[in-house]
Amino acid sequence: MADKLRTQQQLEALQNKYIGTGHADTTKHEWTSNIARDSYASYQGHSPLLHYMSIGMGQGVERTRMKCMEGMVLPCGPAPATEE
Amino acid sequence: MSNVQQTQAFYSLTLAAPSATTAAVTCNSIPGLKNQDQQIFEARGQRIYLHRILENDDRTEVKLSTVCEQDVFGIIRGVTSFRIPGTATDQLVIASDSGRVALVNYDAEKNQFKRVHLETFGKSGVRRTVPGQYLASDPRGRCCMLASAEKNKVVYIVNRNSEAEIVISSPHEANSWANLCFGICALDTGWEHPVFAALEVDYNDAENDPTGEMYERREKQLVYYTVDLGLNHVVKSWSDTVEYSANMLFGVPGGQDGPSGVLVCCEDRIYYRHDKAAPLCIPIPRRKGSTEDPDRKRIIVSGCLHLSKARHEFFFLLQTEDGDVFKLTMEMSEEAKAQPERLVLKYYDTFPVAKQMLLIRKGYIYIAAENGNSKVYHVNDLADDPEVEPHNTFSSDDVSPDPTDTYTPTYFIPRHLKFTSLAVDIPSLHPLMRTKVDNPAGEDAPQIYAIQGTGNRSVFKTIRHGLEIQEIVSSPLGNIPCDNLWSLKHRSSDEYHSYLLLSSGYGDKTIVLSIGDEVETIDDTAFLTNRATVTAAQMGDNTLVQVHARGVHSILGSGAVNAWPSPANRTIVAASANDRQLLLGLSSAELAFFFMGDDGVLNQLEDMPEMSGKITALSVGQTPKGQQQAKYAVVGCDDCTIRVLSIELDSPLEARSVQALSAVPTSIEVVEMVEPGGAGTVVSYVHIGLASGLYLRAIIDEVTGELGEVRTKFLGARATRLFPVNIAASQQQGVLACSTRPWLGYNHPGSSLYTLTPLVAAPMEAARPFVSEHLNGLCAIQGANLLIFGISKVDGRLSASEVSLRYTPRAMSRNPWGPVWYVAQSDGNTLSQATKDDLRAKAGDTIPAEEFAELEKHIGLSRSAGHWASCIQAIDPLEAKAATSTIELADNEAALCCVVVPFESRNWEVYLAVGTGQHMTPGVAATAATESPKGFVHIYKLTDSGRQMELVHKTPFASPIYALHPFHGRLALGVGPELFVYDLGMKSLLRKSRGVVVPNQIVSIDSRGNRLVCADVSESVTYVVFKPKYNRMIGFVDDSIQRWSTTASMLDYETVAGGDKFGNLWVVRCPEQASKESDEEGIGGYIVNERSYLGGAPYRVELRSHFFTQDVPLSIQRTALVPGGQEVLFWSGLQGTIGMLVPFMSREDVEFFTQLEQLLRGEEGAATLVGRDHLMYRGYYVPVKGTVDGDLCEGFLVLGAGGKAKMAGEVEREGREVERKVLEMRTRVAF
Repeated sequence: MADKLRTQQQLEALQNKYIGTGHADTTKHEWTSNIARDSYASYQGHSPLLHYMSIGMGQGVERTRMKCMEGMVLPCGPAPATEE
Repeated sequence: MSNVQQTQAFYSLTLAAPSATTAAVTCNSIPGLKNQDQQIFEARGQRIYLHRILENDDRTEVKLSTVCEQDVFGIIRGVTSFRIPGTATDQLVIASDSGRVALVNYDAEKNQFKRVHLETFGKSGVRRTVPGQYLASDPRGRCCMLASAEKNKVVYIVNRNSEAEIVISSPHEANSWANLCFGICALDTGWEHPVFAALEVDYNDAENDPTGEMYERREKQLVYYTVDLGLNHVVKSWSDTVEYSANMLFGVPGGQDGPSGVLVCCEDRIYYRHDKAAPLCIPIPRRKGSTEDPDRKRIIVSGCLHLSKARHEFFFLLQTEDGDVFKLTMEMSEEAKAQPERLVLKYYDTFPVAKQMLLIRKGYIYIAAENGNSKVYHVNDLADDPEVEPHNTFSSDDVSPDPTDTYTPTYFIPRHLKFTSLAVDIPSLHPLMRTKVDNPAGEDAPQIYAIQGTGNRSVFKTIRHGLEIQEIVSSPLGNIPCDNLWSLKHRSSDEYHSYLLLSSGYGDKTIVLSIGDEVETIDDTAFLTNRATVTAAQMGDNTLVQVHARGVHSILGSGAVNAWPSPANRTIVAASANDRQLLLGLSSAELAFFFMGDDGVLNQLEDMPEMSGKITALSVGQTPKGQQQAKYAVVGCDDCTIRVLSIELDSPLEARSVQALSAVPTSIEVVEMVEPGGAGTVVSYVHIGLASGLYLRAIIDEVTGELGEVRTKFLGARATRLFPVNIAASQQQGVLACSTRPWLGYNHPGSSLYTLTPLVAAPMEAARPFVSEHLNGLCAIQGANLLIFGISKVDGRLSASEVSLRYTPRAMSRNPWGPVWYVAQSDGNTLSQATKDDLRAKAGDTIPAEEFAELEKHIGLSRSAGHWASCIQAIDPLEAKAATSTIELADNEAALCCVVVPFESRNWEVYLAVGTGQHMTPGVAATAATESPKGFVHIYKLTDSGRQMELVHKTPFASPIYALHPFHGRLALGVGPELFVYDLGMKSLLRKSRGVVVPNQIVSIDSRGNRLVCADVSESVTYVVFKPKYNRMIGFVDDSIQRWSTTASMLDYETVAGGDKFGNLWVVRCPEQASKESDEEGIGGYIVNERSYLGGAPYRVELRSHFFTQDVPLSIQRTALVPGGQEVLFWSGLQGTIGMLVPFMSREDVEFFTQLEQLLRGEEGAATLVGRDHLMYRGYYVPVKGTVDGDLCEGFLVLGAGGKAKMAGEVEREGREVERKVLEMRTRVAF
């Protein structure tokens, strides 16, 4: 029993430390939001990619970066209502 | 050693490093320089640079020189600099994708960056929660903060211990869950505890509320994090809500200098916020003009602070996304000093949109431009006078600091530069949209044609490998062709040249010119003019020596003439002289040697040794400084050998060594040059030009006279002639080699390696130094002209000429029959020319059209959401050097691609096909669901040998056209996922064949024979076979991983190379069986009936090579870059990278370079400056395969002597041999 508890605690510690660590009840919404946020963060971190997207969108790099940041707030819309 | 198993491996080299700046900061990191002399520390791609602004005394000449550059092999995301109190120089901090923070110093002695600290805080890679996205440092140099896009922040406290060593603390974290960070900055708090401000959004509530109401009510917080230096921790000390559109923060000076706090830049407004002061707000003025949208809101994209610590005054320069720069000043209230009362914004000037704007204390503004050339402006006026342009000055009076309150927008009038002037224009290549290596002019080496830039600053560039020359005089020499010239001083102590001797072997005569204010012919001269000159020199103190075929003619300082006739029946065929020694080669293969005494008289050595063959060239070394005689002479004979002879008086003409050559030497020069990498030691190099056009360089051993370390390069198809010259730009000795092109050999000021670069000029017969009162340059015989020219810069290796374009270029295509290029250009969210004309007419704009166009060139195109401006231009870059024809598109159409296609049905006449899109939304992919975007293909008839275009017809399509390709006398085009083949009809294009081959959107098509390769926007490439008999297109091979392809090109019938948006280069190959099956006769074969595998084509391609370049490759081409060179894979990337993949020729080379790369990966200083693992970096998305990183291997060249020897020992070779191999990999195929 103690082992199980420890595993549970370790998992929770992991989930706290590394956002996106899944659990048995990960929903589709959580998972897709996670992926989308990861992608948006990656676009901003790779400046050539951000530059490429900015030229495609016909705007400045800073505006594209803000769009990416804003996209991270709620990338896949609000979570669906849970059925109790 | 996976490379060794490969069937094909490549060696990746960068030809031009990316020019787009990622981050830049001013610093003071060179020890011993004044505080005023700020340097610029800049990151571009994976390289870091330290630049200095150099100016002459009266500031008329300003240049930006690179002090140091280094490849760090990691993605650099941010840089900052700070000075720890009590230390002399600034520390440089680099945030990269290594999950570590690197504290770096500039080591002036070794001229390289030196790592001081490397602290790990997270995983490597660009990740959402690993800090590195944002970087800020305390203005007092006590700590720095790194933040990630979400959740994590980490603060490092830095200090100095009693031994003057820099110590860095353990990381202090300030993490908050579900918290997005939009920007950070450091507050200036004086000497109180450091504070960092952050813009944050908490998404926890929004995400957990299914109604979406919380999302609507989300807020952006301005949060203060205080670093408690006493308790050694970081606490969140204050937070308040700010306007939601806030994107950027700037710290306001504090302590004695100002009120502290931050500027919060939002869309259309700028706020001043602080926990101890009342907020203030000022709208960002919008542009006034007949073509400007009065409701368009701008954001601030860059800015810099100027703080005068002596006077406690400060101001900000803030730049909007249009490029307009505003000067922001703060006025304090009378009662309380630290309470700002008013913000004042004044329109300053319009610059190119900057990624980073830096104010240099000497009075310059450095604009690291987002697109196009970076620039340095000289500040003439700080716009302090309130009387100047009151209509462009705005204040925060009557503007409510509450974000919910309304305000009246303000408007200013943009204009040309007023307070600044352009000082330096730094040539850059970003954004490099497409390149093509071609040689329509039939020049010696192919040129790189490129389309570059955005908006109306776009250009069409012709890039050549070579140095530009500044032609000063070019005057015809008459009808007798001259073949050599000499510039002579009158006496050895003279500063300037006095005589110029031109010799004509054909006319057997010599022309003597005097150099003064003008260059004139002298008729009455002591030189012999009725003979051709073999060589001429100024020897001794004031003796002039002229050697001709029949003897030596020496003119003493007194005016007396001494003549030495050549022995009977023998003529002089070659001669060379230095200050004291003269060596002649006679037609009888004998050598005659003279030594000049102090009286200026030549004394002949009686012994005349005979050489093994006819003497073709010889050279004596230059007289070393402070000595009377040079040690060695080199003599070349027609039996393809050269001999090194001692010419010292105690052992005259003793042979020391012999070297065999591959051809007859035509020219030999012994030149003393500084040894690259050695600490200023001077080494004698012998440069040898061969009749075959080869050029060799070897070192003469100082003691034994042996020749060693031979380097070879093919220069051109003509015999190479060499001339020692002085290079004014780097103040060093160099060699000018004349073959089919003139080449300059010199020690590169940046890399300090010996470099051979062609001059962008017509072929030269001969060249010599030319120093007069006004000019320190060169003179040359070019055809039938005497050319006097200068070489101002030797640090770049590429030179470019440009033709300006109207809008962002998207694609280009060349007319196969002439040097004319067609460029499709389009700009999203931009008003078209027709709309602008309309608006101007409606508004009754009285500004003349030319004036308006000129201003627009400076301030940029008028923008408006949903509009497209587009045109197609024919460009003649060689003769007209301009656009010869322009067609503006109307109706919101945007040209996306173009190709010149010969139609078989029109007797192979070539037409220009342009693919367009209509009503597109930039940044949103056109899918079947969105009904409005449509596409067209325009067909233009080309007249006036391709310089004019005439619209034939246009054919509508269901979606925008991104790919066109000529295919068997017809036009292949991609419409969404479908591939079509069309023929030219009278009224429209006629569909001939159709196939659905890719999943999403075809972005590029290439073909060989009946095989087409289509690149999909996200699903890599698909091979398609066209069966003409049955008119079917069958996709038979696709890829197993998704590649967001940008470009793809067939290397051969089986292999495709391409690049993707994430910065990878890849080479894939069709499996043998699939290839065979696809080419089976008829349609009854196996391939048609093959079953689809996992929803794709029946077969999958094999990956041959994969390499992460960081930059987005947009063009890739198989081509040779130098005459006679092997073919390479040439690629270019968006940020201005030009690179190549060189296929390895032998298995031994692969093994050798793999081993060398392996060793260099672990080498301190070569790869590990920011602590990114090289193998992981090059395999960022997909493990690196079949590619050796040549840039890393070239790191071997800059290792110290000890490091070189150690590494060479490990690969079981000599250090010099490794060096030669590494250098040859580059010079054999490129530059």
